[in-house]
Amino acid sequence: MAAAGPRPLANDVNIIEGGIDVRFAKVIMLSVIVALAAGCSLSPRTYHDQNMDFSIIQTVAVLPFANLTSHKNAEDRVRDVFMNMLLSTGGVYVLPAGEVARGISRSQIADGAAPAVEEIKKLGAVLGTDAVITGVLKEYGEVRSGTAAANVVSLSLQLMEVETGRVVWVGASTKGGISTKDRLLGGGGQPMNTITEEAVSELIKMLFKG
Amino acid sequence: MNLSRCFSRVKGIALLAALLLTGCAALQETPPLTIQSLGPDTISPQSSLKAPVVWRAEATGGVPPLSYEFLCEDSNGPALRQQGLSSAWPWWPGRAGTYRIKVVVRDRIGNTVQSPWSPEFEITRPLIAVLPLQNLSRTKAPLAMIRTEIISRLKGAGFDLVADPDLQRFMARHRMRKVSGINGFLAEKLKEATGAEALLITTLELYDEQPPLKIALLCRLVSLAQSPEILWVDSVGLAGDDSPGLLGLGLIEEPEAMRSEALEGLVASLTRSLAGTQKPRFLPGKFMPKMTHGPQEDKLWQGKARVAVPPFYNVSDRKYGGEIMALHFLEALQESGRFTVVEPGVVHDELLRFRIIMDHGISIPQAEAMFSSFDADFVLSGKVFDYQDTKGHWGVPMVDFSAEMFDNQNRQLVWTSKSYNGGSDRVFFFDWGRITTASSMAAQMTRAIIGFLAQ
Repeated sequence: MAAAGPRPLANDVNIIEGGIDVRFAKVIMLSVIVALAAGCSLSPRTYHDQNMDFSIIQTVAVLPFANLTSHKNAEDRVRDVFMNMLLSTGGVYVLPAGEVARGISRSQIADGAAPAVEEIKKLGAVLGTDAVITGVLKEYGEVRSGTAAANVVSLSLQLMEVETGRVVWVGASTKGGISTKDRLLGGGGQPMNTITEEAVSELIKMLFKG
Repeated sequence: MNLSRCFSRVKGIALLAALLLTGCAALQETPPLTIQSLGPDTISPQSSLKAPVVWRAEATGGVPPLSYEFLCEDSNGPALRQQGLSSAWPWWPGRAGTYRIKVVVRDRIGNTVQSPWSPEFEITRPLIAVLPLQNLSRTKAPLAMIRTEIISRLKGAGFDLVADPDLQRFMARHRMRKVSGINGFLAEKLKEATGAEALLITTLELYDEQPPLKIALLCRLVSLAQSPEILWVDSVGLAGDDSPGLLGLGLIEEPEAMRSEALEGLVASLTRSLAGTQKPRFLPGKFMPKMTHGPQEDKLWQGKARVAVPPFYNVSDRKYGGEIMALHFLEALQESGRFTVVEPGVVHDELLRFRIIMDHGISIPQAEAMFSSFDADFVLSGKVFDYQDTKGHWGVPMVDFSAEMFDNQNRQLVWTSKSYNGGSDRVFFFDWGRITTASSMAAQMTRAIIGFLAQ
């Protein structure tokens, strides 16, 4: 039968050999973690023109997105989801894609994905829209890291009012990618359609927040 | 006290007597139940394509409500066809023959009168022309053989068909090379030349003789008139391993057997449709659109709306994806019973006439041109992003598209939707519920959208 040793006093537990209070050490560690976490946290990747009255925007034309990925027609897919979701909010009327294509053609805009200020004004007059949205698709498809793979989508958008051609809102969103779980347990991440909807949904929230 | 009680009793009896007398008077005043007329809304003879023929009975007198029983006599003898409070009976004769109709009317208290049998009403078999197949399968397929099999099955089901030399002569004379549809001018000419009342247009969407065998067909029957109307449309998509069964005994390994099963389903559907016995299909919940935009409270239309469906803008790798998706929407719209769809042959001609090239979809002026040409309430179009069938045993078909509907009244988009599905979306365990062709999936997805929209 083992003999029970002397029970340590409460004060003895909180003191380690160097003479540092454990509670104090915990507080310091927690502070460091909070500071690090704050440093890592993403600043909101959006800009709202504070002088702009967004309620006057009733009709929007979503121009074709620029595609910086290697996926053919990825910009069309993302733009279609964005147009559908934006229209579904009921906040604005989104011009049909065919009408926008006609406007671009009639306004003789060379690059529909990146129009100049004058071109935006001209397009606004042709289409009778209050604002235009341009976008850049930066990532779309599968990314790999070691043995792990997952889908990712990264998109940034700009809203420009047609009277002045000024940028009044900018937003960016990235969804998907390889998570720690994917690295440890494998799996291919979420389907492309799901993460596209998540990214677009986040952008629309950003747009209406202002 | 007694006097007053007696007085009140007398009053009660008098009241009761008065009530009874009033009732009797009412009964006496009720005119006798008589049938004034019974007749169809069209004259005999009629083609079975012109169904339904509406028979109306007019009865007077009796104690309402009146109930009506419509009896129909053919070569098999009389049969009760409709019973209820409605004095009208939409009659779908289904097959050719000579018929007589009678109505029996009953009132609330059991008085019954019946009309004499109507004069004979003749239903003639429709004469149908079967166009050569349109091949959207991107592969070499035995088109002539499939057509021959269709003709043989239709003849077996009792349809009269235009003789092939007559049809070929007509097509040569009018330089009719397009077999994807028909316009009003050619429809009238074909009717004049051959006496046909309807045209069967068949599109081969998928044909693969490599195991597992696959076939997908879209078929529609169009009336031959100045303004051709779609009378029936259906599609079928089958794979040889759809129902493998125990030890693979259910596998279809012969192309003839596969074609036969597909065509049997289509001809049966056509026969049911002309007989008015086509049952509404369920709304496939798994294939509901992922997002939609439309009016929340107001109804978009009352009654039956007229819709034009031009080919969808095709971004997918599947050649003819836009045309195929438009045909599936046409099928769903027509099947819902809430829409009349403009015949694609007419739409195609008008697009050519107006030199309409849809770049990334329909623009407002293009939609306006279509509204005025087709007298349509809506124009439905969209984009196809994926329309993938699989090769071999592995993989699942994928369909991804968005749809948009323009309204004639305010010239705006009134409805948009986005749908994407894979063939394994309905699978819970093993391969139960797997869909093996993009055609079957597209048919269910479009049916889900239109069902949702129509509700």
